[in-house]
Amino acid sequence: MKKISLFQVAYKNLLRKKTRSVLTLVGIGLAAWVLVSLFGFNQGYEASLNRDIDNLGFQMLVIAKGCPYEAATLMLKGGTGLKYLKEDVVGLVAREPEVEGVTPMLMQVVFDPNKGESGGFSAFLGVDPKTFPTLKGALKFQAGGWFTEPEAAEAVFGYEAAELEQREVGDSYLIPEKNVEVKVVGVLERTGTQDDGTIFLPFRTVQRVFGVENELTGIGIKVRKEADIAKFEEKMYALPDVQVVSLAQVKTTIMSLVGTARVLVFSIAVIAILIAMMGVVNTILMSVMERRQEIGILKSMGAQALDIFKLVWLETVILCLAGGAIGSVLALGTAKITDVLVRHLLPYAPSGGLVQIDVRLVLTTLGVVTLIGLLSGIYPSWRAGRLRPLDAIRSEVES
Amino acid sequence: MKIRIIGWLVLGLFAAAAALYAAVGCDLNDPDRDVKRLFPESTSYKTLYVSIAKKGGESLLRKVEARLGDTFKGLYETADVPYTMYQIFRGGELIGYIHGVNQKGQYGGIQVFLALDTKGVIRGFYFQKLTSKAAKLFREPAFGAQFIGLSLKDFEVYNVVTGAEDPPGRVGRIKNPDPGSGSDFRAALRATKKNLILVDEFLLSEQGAAEGTTPASRRQGE
Repeated sequence: MKKISLFQVAYKNLLRKKTRSVLTLVGIGLAAWVLVSLFGFNQGYEASLNRDIDNLGFQMLVIAKGCPYEAATLMLKGGTGLKYLKEDVVGLVAREPEVEGVTPMLMQVVFDPNKGESGGFSAFLGVDPKTFPTLKGALKFQAGGWFTEPEAAEAVFGYEAAELEQREVGDSYLIPEKNVEVKVVGVLERTGTQDDGTIFLPFRTVQRVFGVENELTGIGIKVRKEADIAKFEEKMYALPDVQVVSLAQVKTTIMSLVGTARVLVFSIAVIAILIAMMGVVNTILMSVMERRQEIGILKSMGAQALDIFKLVWLETVILCLAGGAIGSVLALGTAKITDVLVRHLLPYAPSGGLVQIDVRLVLTTLGVVTLIGLLSGIYPSWRAGRLRPLDAIRSEVES
Repeated sequence: MKIRIIGWLVLGLFAAAAALYAAVGCDLNDPDRDVKRLFPESTSYKTLYVSIAKKGGESLLRKVEARLGDTFKGLYETADVPYTMYQIFRGGELIGYIHGVNQKGQYGGIQVFLALDTKGVIRGFYFQKLTSKAAKLFREPAFGAQFIGLSLKDFEVYNVVTGAEDPPGRVGRIKNPDPGSGSDFRAALRATKKNLILVDEFLLSEQGAAEGTTPASRRQGE
């Protein structure tokens, strides 16, 4: 006679009430799906944000003191009233031991009356040909390269700026309002960042063309990895008339804002898990109640309380493992859709994949769901194990 | 808290600077306003998105190039460029089209928009964007007015490479407002011819097929 294993008995028991088992599976699957997606988002968002900050090339920006909001508005209204830093601040910053690299920047905006029906704005970012390419090593060229000389009348176009202006390497470009011609020496590959829409010029050229000699609008600072950014920031504040924007802080700000949303979603996930847990308890308990006579017969034939406990417990584990696997597969399959949805909902979303689901995450989720299953199964299994054989058989006959 | 606000604002500033160049393609900047300006009698419009690659692939590209008398050039003039075409309605009646194309100019991008009636005759011409030393002159209403009443038939004998018209016709009579900006002038005419060809291929041919006529037979019947 073929010996049947405990697992097969448990599996067959679940198949006896297919609809109920499937509905329980769906509940666990959905809870697992939310869990995997949520933690996948947590991992992906932080990784993408870190990558975006690394791609910026510097973690700190020193700008002139004043209200940046006002500066932003004025820049977008024609560049008048911009707050400037003196160029010699670059030297003061560079000599600090925490500094790995500095790059001066000068942004200028002109009103182009020939853009759109009522005109538009064109922005130019003056950068240092010596330091900027080193700090922004992540930038790759679709064609051409960086400027040939520090004061060259040359431009490097971000991907989208080049597409809009239909510029290729070797073409000329006319800076609106100033009527100054520059030669296009490079077109960058698409980065998915603000660099795509930027026209880069040597900052000395921008100073000359826009008549702002010796002025800068910002200094990008790459801080050494071992440096204490908070302490260094304090030092920077000691410089006259400057304001410091640390991207580490920006990251913290973004992460805390995203964290708020995450707490909300996490709460929903916990509720979903609790509901799924109750579903499991309910399903198994119902199953135990319906099988009282059967359990009674098993016990009268010599089955111990522990055997019954193990049998019922195994049913919950099977349900939870299968539900966890379904949820994980669902999360993997819908990661792209979740990415698109989250991107639409968030005020700021970094480039790259926002939802990153890896094997470790899937295994962790399966572990968590199984643990929940084990916990949920204790009570029904204990109830089943405690049934007295004669009472169980009689109660079924009476009913 | 203050630092956080500053952080957000600087990020916003970066984003705003990016937004200045974000919209690549050749859509109307403000379709509701622009449609009403070009077709004051219109009551609604429908937007269609088409590309040579999707519509007919390589064979259509060759056909368009043959009709243009020039090959598509550079990184940005390719078969997969998406074109946005606007069908204009008065009530339920189709009264015309608006379509714009990007064109490489000497110093930057040029966007030429045409407002056409249902037979493909130009009733409005304007540069939505123009980077040129003579931009002000090109954007004078008098320059655009020279295109009104012209159709693809007039441009068929215009050579976009040499700028010559054989036999001389109405396109040759369009005056360049700045002789020093000859290449931008020719770019504007090339963009106009390309624009008319694309409208003919994408819209008028289908309209003709629906009505049981061809664009050519409609022109003969004018």
